[in-house]
Amino acid sequence: MIYLNRNLSHLLLSLALVILSVSLFEPVLSWIQVLVFCAFVMRISLYLGIQKHSPSIRTLNLLALLSGLVLAYFSWQLGVLLGMVNLLVMACSLKLMQLRNQRDYYQLVASVLFLISCGFIFEQSIIYSLIFGLCTVLTLLSLLAHFSPTIPFTRLNKRLLIMTLQAIPIGILLFFGMPKLAPFWQMPTSQSAETGLSDTLTPGDIANLSQSTELAFRVTFDDQIPPVQERYWRALVMENFDGKSWTISRQRNQLKRNNFVRNDEFRPRLSGPFYRYEVLASASNQRWLFAMDIAVPDDQRSDGAIWQSYDYQLMSKKPLISNFKYRVKSFPQEDLNFTDYAFDRQINRSIPTNGNLRTRDWARNLRKMAGSDRAYIEALLDHFRTGNYRYTLKPELMPVDQIDTFLFDKQAGFCAHYASAMAFALRVVGIPARVVAGYQGGEMRENDYLSVYQYDAHAWIEAWVDESGWQRFDPTAAVAPDRISLGLQAAVEDEGSFLDNRTFSLAKLKSVAWINAVRLGLADLDYFWSRWVLGFNTEAQKDLFKTLLGNLSTGRLAALSLGTFAAIGLLLAIFYLPNWHPRKVHPADKIYNDAQKILSSYKIHRAHWQGPLEFAQKVQSFCNDKAGQAFTRLSKLYIASQYKKSDGNHELAKKQIRMMRSELRKLKTALNNPG
Amino acid sequence: MGKLRQIYNRFLDKRIPVARQFQLNHKSIFIFPSKFGWLYLVLCLGIFILGTNYQNNLMLLLCFFLVSLFLLNLFVAYLNFAKISVQLGKTHNEFVGERAQLPLWFNLPKNSTQGPHGLVELGFLRQSAQLQHDLDSNQNPVKIAFVCEERGPIKLPRVTLSSFYPMGLFRCWTHLAFESNILAYPKPVPCSVQLTSQQQSLEPESTQSQESGFDDFDSLKNYRPGEPLYHVAWKQFAKGQGMYSKQFSSSVSVSGWLNLIPCSADVLEVKLGQLCHQVNELTRRGQHFGLDLGHHKIEPDSGPLHQQRCLEALARFSWSAS
Repeated sequence: MIYLNRNLSHLLLSLALVILSVSLFEPVLSWIQVLVFCAFVMRISLYLGIQKHSPSIRTLNLLALLSGLVLAYFSWQLGVLLGMVNLLVMACSLKLMQLRNQRDYYQLVASVLFLISCGFIFEQSIIYSLIFGLCTVLTLLSLLAHFSPTIPFTRLNKRLLIMTLQAIPIGILLFFGMPKLAPFWQMPTSQSAETGLSDTLTPGDIANLSQSTELAFRVTFDDQIPPVQERYWRALVMENFDGKSWTISRQRNQLKRNNFVRNDEFRPRLSGPFYRYEVLASASNQRWLFAMDIAVPDDQRSDGAIWQSYDYQLMSKKPLISNFKYRVKSFPQEDLNFTDYAFDRQINRSIPTNGNLRTRDWARNLRKMAGSDRAYIEALLDHFRTGNYRYTLKPELMPVDQIDTFLFDKQAGFCAHYASAMAFALRVVGIPARVVAGYQGGEMRENDYLSVYQYDAHAWIEAWVDESGWQRFDPTAAVAPDRISLGLQAAVEDEGSFLDNRTFSLAKLKSVAWINAVRLGLADLDYFWSRWVLGFNTEAQKDLFKTLLGNLSTGRLAALSLGTFAAIGLLLAIFYLPNWHPRKVHPADKIYNDAQKILSSYKIHRAHWQGPLEFAQKVQSFCNDKAGQAFTRLSKLYIASQYKKSDGNHELAKKQIRMMRSELRKLKTALNNPG
Repeated sequence: MGKLRQIYNRFLDKRIPVARQFQLNHKSIFIFPSKFGWLYLVLCLGIFILGTNYQNNLMLLLCFFLVSLFLLNLFVAYLNFAKISVQLGKTHNEFVGERAQLPLWFNLPKNSTQGPHGLVELGFLRQSAQLQHDLDSNQNPVKIAFVCEERGPIKLPRVTLSSFYPMGLFRCWTHLAFESNILAYPKPVPCSVQLTSQQQSLEPESTQSQESGFDDFDSLKNYRPGEPLYHVAWKQFAKGQGMYSKQFSSSVSVSGWLNLIPCSADVLEVKLGQLCHQVNELTRRGQHFGLDLGHHKIEPDSGPLHQQRCLEALARFSWSAS
């Protein structure tokens, strides 16, 4: 329709798009970012009048064709989800360049809004939610500006603010009241989105993780909080060693699959003291969960969502595409001897036929000298403790015979090195041993909740020595006791390598009191956010309904949904009923109209062309003197009230109204008693 | 189709009767999601599915926020539209085929925040919108043009006002029937002026005279007191032939008549158009003339008011009235 260059709404929309694409810097390819930025600059120059015309359709089509080809080429590596998001951003930027008519604009608005919602697939933290919220606001402002182009910008803001404040309670009611549905179908996830531990442990991997301040999971304990030395959060058990890295054993996986098909879940009978807690795991797109040994699901809902396997691991039945909350009971004093020894021993004693020869000899000698398996383990730990070993986040590369190099040449490594070396040394002499990957420690926040970050990732070993079953040994604790009791930062304090890849990180500045307070405050906020906003799932909704309704009978649920709609209706009524009759009649108008009505009942009508004075003359000629005079005075007062500005003199205005009322009364009496 | 249209028209006539001024209210306002509104709803559904599939609460929150915004828009759009009060201003008669301007006056409250906002599209029912008017621009009146197609009193088609305020999600519209007293004069058909000296003479004499200049000498008449002295024929007076005054053609009020000859209906419009042209032409020359339409006669006169009377008579003319 009208195509204005100086179009605020287009500018606002471009701003929303550019902020959005910058905030999605990880999923969106950089050349597409450049494209968006070009479109933005173009819009600005059109707005400022530097440029008069947008590029021709032919140019744009050519550009679209080229970009499409390049994107198609890249999309092989990107996968479905990232490919789609990139395509959408690209299409938006081209549309922004084209933006000519009403239809282009509508399409672009819809695409930007959809893109904002896609942003939540990648980022769900408070900061990003605020950024995406800002983009939404800009888009809506753009819409407002589009449909009322001459209203000042401040008034647009005010209008949007009012509407937003009204929409939020309704939206929240809908959010809580609408039944939450299970996923309709499986959506593609991006490979790069998998975070946290991986199912292969090559020494050095965890060192990478230790550079990440991302949250792995949070724990809320019911009553007892375990001491920090006991906080070993098992995630993965790795039983296959190929000389270089530890992986999940193929036989174990096979067994898990078979068990799952046969519905043979690991269900140990546990007794003794226990910890009860709730874990809120961040989205990782993986299936393993985190718990302390020996863990079993604590309630029915967790039980339904979790699969327990014979390696004491808890697995979610679905990948964690969003935050996942579950309740666990841990029995720390139980022995891990509920599983089939023969199977466990069979897969946990194999070592590659060659490589790491020095270690093999050394281990066999040590075993001979020790006499018993237990004494051998003690000797090993002692070796780590007293030997010239160093705990470091910057281990040197050990390409060949890694364990030999580590044990005898470098003697400096990270938890994965120690675990790997010790498990290997045990397997050499025939003791079943395996590596467990997980997290250790975590940061307790005033007895409320425990936050475990990616940099708390850890690896330790388990060995089956006697009938007490799998026993945990942590060689890292022998080398760097601080790592266990004080955390990673204390352990590498001398080295200064804690999070040294990150120039700016609040976690680095834990020693500065106020910064730490800010960091912990943010953590509190984040805890609240992930627990109540991100973690509000079907079960939480059911719980909420239960507390509201007592039981979940169909009738009550129906009543609840009706109640939700009633509440929304009520809110709307509160918002809009007062405005329903927005035209307030001025009291002077009302009195004059009343007088006219009374006169009409005496068949004296005012023609639409008659002014008040002319009408007063007519009234005087038709009525008795008293009534005529009263009405003339009334008319004069009415004219004064309408055309003489009282200049904020409320007293005068009120006096006028009072006088008009008295004249109206006089008119009535005069008309009722003629003569 | 035509039947449906009739039913719809009757429904409209009942719901929004003809008036000179309209304050829009629940009776006169129609509201329905616009195309963009439907697109927006589809978008919300898309976000809902995405949010459910990813079990992502933030997406769901965004979706519900957008849905509730949609709901609020319904009210905001309606209340804004209901603030509009519009009346038809002074209109002028036009010739058939010309565009009559309809000035529409929107109410402008003293405090501009209280009035209606946003763009309003104006047009006629079953026609595309003619123009966009910005209610915040404080401009009055807004003129929309209407092509007069038939001679006689014009029944205006309904004026359609529509607004997409505030976010284009809903279209509010109304079809207003304005009471108008616009007359469409017959379309002038160029022809020569044919004045007859008598009324209703069947064979009009061609009186092509009196077209000559303003001060052409015409004849002499007995002088009557009050006539300007410079018109006195002093030559004759000096000869002692008595006091005469000169008569000039322009000041001679030759009262001719314009006649309508009875004819068949298909020629009637052309005849009326010719008369219309002649009325205009004679008025332009400032001549006296009368109009004889058989049953309706207008005495000879001149000037714009006379022209208007004649044109109105021509506009309203029909044989049945005779």
